Amino acid sequence: MVQVMEKKEAAEQSEFVFPRGLAGFGDAHRFGFIYEGQGDMICMQSLDTPEAAFILTPWDEQRLGATPELNAEQRDCLHLTSNEEQGSSIMWMLVLNPFADQAWVTANMRAPIALHANAGRGIQCIRHDTSLELRYHWMPQPSAA
Amino acid sequence: MMVLRRKVGEAIRINDDIRIFIQDIQGGHSVRFAIDAPANVAVHRLEVYSIIQQENQAANKGDALTWLKGGG
Repeated sequence: MVQVMEKKEAAEQSEFVFPRGLAGFGDAHRFGFIYEGQGDMICMQSLDTPEAAFILTPWDEQRLGATPELNAEQRDCLHLTSNEEQGSSIMWMLVLNPFADQAWVTANMRAPIALHANAGRGIQCIRHDTSLELRYHWMPQPSAA
Repeated sequence: MMVLRRKVGEAIRINDDIRIFIQDIQGGHSVRFAIDAPANVAVHRLEVYSIIQQENQAANKGDALTWLKGGG
């Protein structure tokens, strides 16, 4: 948890480049992070496309199990060197959707975000496993709680 | 839309840095490609990409920062 917080602070202070953009936001390549003091949630704001902003939360290994494995192309895109361990260098985040369900804030398990703070690079890792939930019930809506 | 006819083992080049090879054709209805593209080019099955595209847009329907400021 301490490591997650340290990485989150690093993310908050940095600009990240997403060379591939995000699906549906192909022109959004540079993102900044804004923490509003709401638990583990952080706002990822595009610096290229002002309307593109997402709420992210760290991958919770206790709840979800191990983080996904990066393939060679993804490692390359993130500038992850062969000396760097994925586990200690990459911060995995989930994209939350608080707008689709009145009762639940959902998390997209099929396309988590991988951030490499040392390189200032990120990618959205689209997973082809159709059993993964697109709208996983992450937490109740605060207004419904 | 451009339509090209290619045989197994042949390839298509897009710009200077993307190559698509036809690896094999299975059962006359399924084609296997090998795609050689730079790391910054995202390559996905269309139907998978479309779903993520729609979900990203749905997650962007409201103002994320205002939602966070409103108490999370």
